Amino acid sequence: MTEASDGKRRGPTRRVLAGLRLTSLRLRLVVVFGLVALTAAVSASGIAYWLNREAVLTRTQDAALNDFEEEMQNRAGSLPPRPTQDDLEATAVRMSQSSQRYSVLLIGEDPDGKTVVGNSDLDSFTLTDVPKSLQKAVNEKRPLEKGNKDEYHLFWQRKTDTGGTPFLVGGTRVMGGGPTGYMLKSLEPESEDLGSLAWSLGIATGLALIGAALLAQAAATTVLKPVHRLGVAARRLGEGKLDTRLRVSGTDELAELSRTFNRTAENLEKKVADMSSREESSRRFVADMSHELRTPLTAITAVTEVLEEEADSLDPMIEPAVRLVVSETRRLNDLVENLMEVTRFDAGTARLVLDDVDIADQITACIDTRAWLDAVDLDAERGITARLDPRRLDVVLANLIGNALKHGGSPVRVQVRVDGDDLLIRVRDHGPGIPEEVLPHVFDRFYKASASRPRSEGSGLGLSIALENAHIHGGEITAENSAEGGAVFTLRLPRDASHMVERPAGEDAGEESEESSGVSS
Amino acid sequence: MTSVPSLLLIEDDDAIRTALELSLTRQGHRVATAATGEDGLKLLREQRPDLIVLDVMLPGIDGFEVCRRIRRTDQLPIILLTARSDDIDVVVGLESGADDYVVKPVQGRVLDARIRAVLRRGEREANDAAVFGSLVIDRSAMTVTKDGEDLQLTPTELRLLLELSRRPGQALSRQQLLRLVWEHDYLGDSRLVDACVQRLRAKVEDVPSSPTLIRTVRGVGYRLDTPQ
Repeated sequence: MTEASDGKRRGPTRRVLAGLRLTSLRLRLVVVFGLVALTAAVSASGIAYWLNREAVLTRTQDAALNDFEEEMQNRAGSLPPRPTQDDLEATAVRMSQSSQRYSVLLIGEDPDGKTVVGNSDLDSFTLTDVPKSLQKAVNEKRPLEKGNKDEYHLFWQRKTDTGGTPFLVGGTRVMGGGPTGYMLKSLEPESEDLGSLAWSLGIATGLALIGAALLAQAAATTVLKPVHRLGVAARRLGEGKLDTRLRVSGTDELAELSRTFNRTAENLEKKVADMSSREESSRRFVADMSHELRTPLTAITAVTEVLEEEADSLDPMIEPAVRLVVSETRRLNDLVENLMEVTRFDAGTARLVLDDVDIADQITACIDTRAWLDAVDLDAERGITARLDPRRLDVVLANLIGNALKHGGSPVRVQVRVDGDDLLIRVRDHGPGIPEEVLPHVFDRFYKASASRPRSEGSGLGLSIALENAHIHGGEITAENSAEGGAVFTLRLPRDASHMVERPAGEDAGEESEESSGVSS
Repeated sequence: MTSVPSLLLIEDDDAIRTALELSLTRQGHRVATAATGEDGLKLLREQRPDLIVLDVMLPGIDGFEVCRRIRRTDQLPIILLTARSDDIDVVVGLESGADDYVVKPVQGRVLDARIRAVLRRGEREANDAAVFGSLVIDRSAMTVTKDGEDLQLTPTELRLLLELSRRPGQALSRQQLLRLVWEHDYLGDSRLVDACVQRLRAKVEDVPSSPTLIRTVRGVGYRLDTPQ
């Protein structure tokens, strides 16, 4: 009871935990979808960003440098070979006012041979902004040869300043001696454009990831819901509800699986029904047969007594035959009676007829009627009472004690103890005990310890019937070997077996109503 | 052994009928036999036997019905021949008014002992009377009257009432009653007592469902009280 409710309480929590488990299908699907989406989005965005960046920068750069080169040719080239500071300054300012917005720095030698610098914008661009390597490359004179038509080349470099703003710096010399020109163009607008592009791509990637996760969830749900249903159905099937079937919808693999499940369940149900009907019919056969055997046996039994009484006056040749018929009829009677008892247990029609009995009296009567008083040593207090079926208790006791006498020999010791709500009856013999390999089978029907063992007087059903009789009381019989030697059978019975008869109403109704009326009066 | 008891055996199986007739005749009874319930009821009217041995499984009207029909007019003892496998049979049989039952395959000696025990129940034993409220038990005439009216009791019911009245106010266990009334050994079927007590209550109590005379003593058995 408590286990069941515990299980129920634990149920939802466990399901949530299972949903979060690292190995769960749902999580794995989400991760895989996420990774795929991430890889795709990141590579696509990366390539797009990189291509874009190159294209934008190259275009800006080319435009600026071409313009600068042109300006250098047109304006700086038209300067006198030794311009003054003012000339250079004016030219630089003019150059910087072209369509491409950049700062210009012109360096030349004035008529006095002094180096003069013309600045378009002294605040933002001085010679210190131009990398030394670039200056060197610009001022390097290259020999004219076949593959090189010009002495000086245009060089450029992309840099970022200390503030992180990217800029383009380039420089060249006017051909045939003239000032050296440098230009600096801030690439900030382009950088900003690229930045916002990167942002957009990042957001797109994020959206793709979220979309992928949602898709994965949806996919997991569409897959997992049927899987969960399948799991529930399989559990129900395992619990023995063989009529469990799944509703099949669609034509996908899961539907195919559901169909397979249904087919399996159907086959299983058919097989089990088949088996139980076969078992039922074989059980019925035994029951019917023992029933049928009883009618002729009743007639024979009634007559054997007549024969027995006349046996002494019969021909000495015939007398042994008559005695054999009488004794074997009795055996047959016992066997049929035991068979019927077994079929009653198998069919679940065995009923308890309860009464209040004094255990010591009952045991004494049991051994007395079978003339075992001398062979049995009874250790039982008087006054121990129990509510049970006296006839069934007698069957158990007769079997246990009879068995002990037959295989163990006297004295057989019978001990009665009360253990809480239970009654313990121990039957101990002083024989050789039960071989270990036989011990688990002593309650089996028709179990014979060895082929060489002489044919026993019993039907081979005695201990099995004893055990069933204990079970129907809600009790148990255990067999073991005593440390001091000899076999010990322990019968444990509840002192009140009333709870075992509450179900079959027809049986006990008379007594119950009577009892309640007695109490109410 | 004043006279040879006459029995009526109703049993449909030829072999069993013949065998039991043979056995019972050897035990010193006069036995009339019938193969069906209808024949049995007819024979009963013609022959007035002392006791009926009745098989439960009969073609036509079954043993229970025969039992019920006999009980409508007659209180003569009935012993059922039954199969223990059908536990319900026993209950139904006892409810339809049977005094005792024996389980097939039955030994002639056992059946004979039961027959004699049942027949002994009608024998008088003492010459006195006991009064329990409106109930008067005359042990010499073997009659019971309630408010001056004669009650029709079967010998078993009468014997049960006598045994209880002999120890007024004292609880008797079912097993004790089985020994005293049915003369069964220690393994008597306690349902015999319960069924008989119920039938007896129906006849002697004012309100059978709330008995004031024959009281149930839980965990023990029954006792006869003088109502206050």
